[in-house]
Amino acid sequence: MDSFDVPDSTDWLETPLSLLAPLESSLRCQVCKDFFNNPVITSCSHTFCSLCIRRCLSTEGKCPVCRSSDQELKLRRNWAVQEFVETFQNARQSVLDLARKEAARLKDGDSTIREPSPKKRKVDRVDVREEVTVVQASPRRARTRSQRIKNDAPNTEPVPVAQETIEVIEDSQDEGEEEYVPDDGMVACPICQRKMKAHAVFSHLDTCQGITPAPPPPSKPSAFSVAHSSLQPQPNRLQSSPGNAPERIPAMNYSLLKDNLLRKKLRELGIPDWGPRPLLQRRHTEWMNLWNSNCDSRIPKTKRALLQELDIWERTQGGHAAGPSPFATNSAVMRKDFDAAGWSASHDTDFKRLIANARIKSDTQVRSTIPGASEKSTGESSTGSAAPVAPVEAPPDNGIPVESNQNIEPRSFDPSG
Amino acid sequence: MGSSIAQKRLFHEYKNLSTNPPEGITAGPVSEDDMFYWEALIQGPEGTPFEGGVFAAELKFSKDYPLSPPTMKFVGGGVWHPNVYPNGTVCISILHPPGDDPNHYEHASERWSPIQSVEKILISVMSMLAEPNDESPANVEAAKMWRERRAEYEQKVRDEVRKGLGL
Repeated sequence: MDSFDVPDSTDWLETPLSLLAPLESSLRCQVCKDFFNNPVITSCSHTFCSLCIRRCLSTEGKCPVCRSSDQELKLRRNWAVQEFVETFQNARQSVLDLARKEAARLKDGDSTIREPSPKKRKVDRVDVREEVTVVQASPRRARTRSQRIKNDAPNTEPVPVAQETIEVIEDSQDEGEEEYVPDDGMVACPICQRKMKAHAVFSHLDTCQGITPAPPPPSKPSAFSVAHSSLQPQPNRLQSSPGNAPERIPAMNYSLLKDNLLRKKLRELGIPDWGPRPLLQRRHTEWMNLWNSNCDSRIPKTKRALLQELDIWERTQGGHAAGPSPFATNSAVMRKDFDAAGWSASHDTDFKRLIANARIKSDTQVRSTIPGASEKSTGESSTGSAAPVAPVEAPPDNGIPVESNQNIEPRSFDPSG
Repeated sequence: MGSSIAQKRLFHEYKNLSTNPPEGITAGPVSEDDMFYWEALIQGPEGTPFEGGVFAAELKFSKDYPLSPPTMKFVGGGVWHPNVYPNGTVCISILHPPGDDPNHYEHASERWSPIQSVEKILISVMSMLAEPNDESPANVEAAKMWRERRAEYEQKVRDEVRKGLGL
């Protein structure tokens, strides 16, 4: 079962923090079910991984959620979601460990801990509030409290719940304020990061060149600066190195391109150009999606890494895919990496039968053209008239008999037959 | 070796279904070596003639899942139902890609989309058992019987369920 143990939103269900399951679900792409990777937003305001939505759009041209038409060109990066995902992922393991520990502790102590008396309720609630702020809400208390509420007074139920929720929201707002409001009352230009008065930013933005090297961002010793520092310089980085940003590959209208031109295009892009036309098109589309989604990445991968991903695609869905792929059969014999030994082994009986047929045929041919030559034919294989016999004499398991026999009975070598 | 997107996604779905299964539904790959071939068990919905039965089905996924839907086929004994072919293949809109609509009656919104999942398919099939779709019968005989001789249909279904349980 280890191979199936992928991190998943259901990890929270067994813990006291089961309410985090829907939160984690909402940070995962609905297409690949993984955490958003380079999230982008569609014209219809749905968010997916860049690669996932590009694949969907190139097959169907529609948003998978609401099915409204959309184009790749209209996709926009969704930095906020990316930030959610990254910060959540950073925190995930430690929170999950804590929650699991707590779950284990509760399991052990379940029999000894009884419902506390109503007197303790007030104290309990205060405790919960405090613990929420350090992301360690006591689940036992939460549960027993709700049980109690159900038991004695249904009217009061919404009140403590609301209180608790408000508490949490305020708390996170506090953190946000600490982070975002600078002490000196100045605001940083989003492009060049230069600090200025808030009302001056908009007029500055009109003229900001973004070229001047940004002063080092003010150091913030808060615990959150670690997570944020990876994200904050990002517009700056994008701005400062426009030359390094890889250029996107435009979509092609395949029907306008002849085979040779399409092959040339693939060669120019540096990707394999073998295979029949439908495979060429699919490979180009996949490469375009891989490449363009990589352009959406904050830290783009190298072309080499992308080529490896294309190779995985080739093995699973492309020309090297096993199974009933229409591309795997007809061209197989022609490929460089064709397994000649395996092929001749699996078709050994066919080859033997064909060779036998060929021998009979050529014998009769030799006999009819050169009367009395049949006995000599083996010894005279080097002479012109007996030449067709020569390949027949070759042992069937020596190399690929396909070529030597093809002239004699080509029909039987249809690999699909 | 990297696993494909389809495999990863199927891992996720399997994990999700095994840790948080919907009521009356079990599903997973037959062998861990092949994520593209699953078996599912569906309980007959309560209050229908299928109640008490457990129906096994196989699901086959294409390599470009979830862009394309899987196929689903009941195995081991027929399911007498207007929307199930006599060979067991399930005919339901969620299993049809939005691109082709051979029956010209399905709304695109009911059909397959990459955000659908095995779980949603199986839930749809469960509700299909309870409420057949009369518009495009896969099993014409069953559809006719369901429409015209409901009692006989229900009796036949109950008999099949009994037979399936070995009673």
